[in-house]
Amino acid sequence: MALLSNSDIIEHWKSAAAPLLPVLHAFHDRDGHLSEDALRAVSDGLGIPIAELFGSVTFYHHFAREAGGRDAPRVCTGNICALRGAHELLDALRSEGATPMPCAGRCDQPIPVLRGDKVFVGLTADSLAHGPTPLPPRYPGDGEECVFSAIREPGRATLPGYRNSGGYEGLEKLIKSGSPGETIELVNESKLAGRGGAGFPTGRKWQAVADAEGESKFIVCNADEGEPGCFKDRAIMDHDPHAVLEGMIIAGYACGAGQGFIYLRYEYPETFAGLERAIADADAAGLLGENILGSGFSFRIDVRRGAGAYICGEEGSLLNSLEGKHPFPRNRPPFPVTHGYNQQPTAVNNVETLASVPHIARRGAAWYCALGIGDQAGTKLISLSGDIERPGNYEVPLGLPLQTLLNDWAGGAPHGREIQAVTMAGLSGGFLAGADLNVTLDEPSIRSCGSFLGAGGVIVFDDSRDMVKAARDAMEFFAHESCGKCFPCRIGTQRLTERLAGEAGPASLADWKTEVEDIGSTMRATSACGLGVAAPMITDSLMKYFPDKVEKHVQT
Amino acid sequence: MIVDATQGRALRMTLDGEEVRFSDGETIYEVATRQHTPIPTLCYDPRLEPFGGCRMCVVEVEGARTPVASCTTPATAGMVVRTKNVALEKHRKTLLELVVSENREVDVDPLRGYASQEVATLVDEYGARTGRFQGQRSGTSNETDDNPFIKRDYDLCISCYRCVRVCAEQEGDHAIAVMNRGFQTQITTEFNGRLKDSACTFCGQCVQTCPTGALGDIKAMRAEPLPGELKKTRTICPYCGVGCSVDLLTKGERLVGVQPAMDGPANKGALCIKGQFAFDFVHHEERLKTPLVRGDDGELHEASWDEALDRAADGFRRAREEHGRYSIYGVASGRAPHEAAYTMQKFIRAGFGTNYIDNCSRA
Ligand SMILES: Cc1cc2nc3c(=O)[nH]c(=O)nc-3n(C[C@H](O)[C@H](O)[C@H](O)COP(=O)(O)O)c2cc1C
Ligand code: SF4
Ligand code: SF4
Ligand code: SF4
Ligand code: FES
Repeated sequence: MALLSNSDIIEHWKSAAAPLLPVLHAFHDRDGHLSEDALRAVSDGLGIPIAELFGSVTFYHHFAREAGGRDAPRVCTGNICALRGAHELLDALRSEGATPMPCAGRCDQPIPVLRGDKVFVGLTADSLAHGPTPLPPRYPGDGEECVFSAIREPGRATLPGYRNSGGYEGLEKLIKSGSPGETIELVNESKLAGRGGAGFPTGRKWQAVADAEGESKFIVCNADEGEPGCFKDRAIMDHDPHAVLEGMIIAGYACGAGQGFIYLRYEYPETFAGLERAIADADAAGLLGENILGSGFSFRIDVRRGAGAYICGEEGSLLNSLEGKHPFPRNRPPFPVTHGYNQQPTAVNNVETLASVPHIARRGAAWYCALGIGDQAGTKLISLSGDIERPGNYEVPLGLPLQTLLNDWAGGAPHGREIQAVTMAGLSGGFLAGADLNVTLDEPSIRSCGSFLGAGGVIVFDDSRDMVKAARDAMEFFAHESCGKCFPCRIGTQRLTERLAGEAGPASLADWKTEVEDIGSTMRATSACGLGVAAPMITDSLMKYFPDKVEKHVQT
Repeated sequence: MIVDATQGRALRMTLDGEEVRFSDGETIYEVATRQHTPIPTLCYDPRLEPFGGCRMCVVEVEGARTPVASCTTPATAGMVVRTKNVALEKHRKTLLELVVSENREVDVDPLRGYASQEVATLVDEYGARTGRFQGQRSGTSNETDDNPFIKRDYDLCISCYRCVRVCAEQEGDHAIAVMNRGFQTQITTEFNGRLKDSACTFCGQCVQTCPTGALGDIKAMRAEPLPGELKKTRTICPYCGVGCSVDLLTKGERLVGVQPAMDGPANKGALCIKGQFAFDFVHHEERLKTPLVRGDDGELHEASWDEALDRAADGFRRAREEHGRYSIYGVASGRAPHEAAYTMQKFIRAGFGTNYIDNCSRA
């Protein structure tokens, strides 16, 4: 097949929605890197000033600027893989041009290595193998699942398989005998709240979009899943992609949106292909596109791949990235519900949030509410990894004791060791340890310990782990991913990393602690987005649970 | 008469315990500034879209969990705002200590640029030279950009992106941008090349908005070692008809630089390369200091003013008599003072009764 010319690529995408990322990927894929010639063509073709385009391309970790860079191996040296010998694996692959990448979202598997369009996993260079995303472990609880309730059905990832297990019934019901208002009411009654981190009530978000004035409205599915220790959204998208599409179509119907985007992280190339396939199948079956199921409602979905930037999971940054702007977070207010994609009303929702909706539509709000324990409504996916016997994605009823998940469901720490600490919200919630391991898995309980459940990543550290080193790795991640927009986070994450690494900072314990606390307190109070607000939870919780280890670290 | 700053403004909020009025669309920072309540800033330039990067301007809003950036947050009716308290002042000091820790130095000569003293001034106001938060420094000075106008001393850069934003929003050139992220951010041009190979027009606006002197006016900086006090004299740029207000920088009898007037009604802080940088002719060694008259030998000879003026008058008179008054056309130099330009047009209009007068630069 003849290679596409520069103008073929530009012409193909020029009038598409959110064209910059797909255009850049098309050149990246064609040439194996982004050459100066390619960037100049994009700049001319899309009318983006060349200096700004160049600057934004350097923002993304995975856009290679050197020939052959795209297909050179990238080895995950994320917080969990680092515990499993990722640096040795990286060294072994150096001769092939390997470079490190932050957590690639496969913490329940051996170390992932990304090569172009494929992810291989293995602990050593010669054991790298390509394989499917693991299904969630068999449900170990005595309650009931929602998001995962049908995910293990054979063929669920295909349209016929999905429909055989109740798929698109919820949409059909709402679109044929409900109204947008009733749809929002249903979601309100279910008490579904955002599963991407911030926990904002989903029905209220949709209502705000429905009520907002705008020429056109948008649904954005946040599939950036950049939080270290989180890999639940990939499990959903790989094994139950139509649930995500159905959730988006229902959201579009409720909000009055005509266009949806899935913003997918770069590190999930196989997922990209699977989503494209599912969209094509749904299109062909009349479940997407014009006049869905004869209702008069029309909706299309486009997948847009990111290029390696954790901050692009933050909704303002995500929207800037989609629009082809420099991916700094946006100032709030205004919020995306009124000023989102192209300044139009937009609902940004996490994959898990959206994938819950078809089940709620089919089985009712009361059913969903009742899945939680006590006052808690519904369920939450937890990505469990690190020093744990059975890592994987677990769907817990909100309110489940953490210890039940760790010990009864997942088998506790391996090799007869004790669990020393866990992280919450991936890394963003810092550590929990000691008596605080007795929390229940819900926001009120976890927040009362100064942390939060967030996206539901839980990384386990057994009693052999160096917690100062764990904290340093975590802070290094935040420093690597800080976008550089605001001073407290840009400088603060760097200074905290240096102090945890023992590279800089006062030699006296009291001064060391004051500096670290002062930086943390200013980051928490003044940072422009959630990254800078959350990062000091690492140092706060380290000093709270492990004061002796901090003392030893500073004094040696 | 004292004009009530709140006149015509319908909405009310509480600012540091006092009820103030404002109109829809104003930010907290704008309201506070109007009320003469100073709020410190580093990434703010009133001509640009608020950016919200430095976080120095954070204020407390009743009901909000954390302080908010006053530069980006719209004022709303009934809002209760506190611009100063112990916690806010401590955050501001910490931010400044962090800024000091990332830079090679804080103190730079004011000749570097209009806003170059902003960081040093705030650092002193907050007593932030504590030496805390030591660590790696950010930004790398660009020593290889061999342009004659703009020093790119990014060791002093604090990533406020005022330069990038002024270039895009005011100048419309988009010549510079932000490269990398986090602590590694760096101001760049296309493919990190030289300014003269980029879309830069050397208007100097990035230099003048830079709050640290990381961008320096190379021509003005030549005068750093000169003794004497730096004086500013307000005038209008003579080069073209726009009429940009400028402040001429002098040390003693020497013109050492030009800065745009931020309150210039025609330019609001903008200049072009000529107004900003093209003043070397003033003290140029080849500049004529006495009249020259061509002798019979065909060479130019120094002459007295009387001699020269008589000679010029003779020439004009002859030209008018032989060819008529429309044969004479005056072109004033953009490098002459306004007074000379005025006299020149008067000379043509009154002297010859024509409008045959122009200026060399009609940008
Ligand atoms: C630094 C940062 C990274 C984030 N990354 C993600 C992400 O990868 N996926 C996600 O769904 N939400 C992420 N969020 C949260 C989003 O900003 C947003 O709240 C969420 O997508 C809303 O969807 P929900 O209401 O369904 O949770 C992130 C937030 C921050 C501050
Ligand atoms: S907190 Fe960090 S990631 Fe967020 S805007 Fe500020 S610098 Fe960027
Ligand atoms: S001198 Fe003017 S055009 Fe050049 S980078 Fe600075 S602001 Fe932009
Ligand atoms: S060069 Fe100056 S204006 Fe530009 S980002 Fe750095 S400090 Fe700010
Ligand atoms: S002036 Fe508001 S954040 Fe800089």
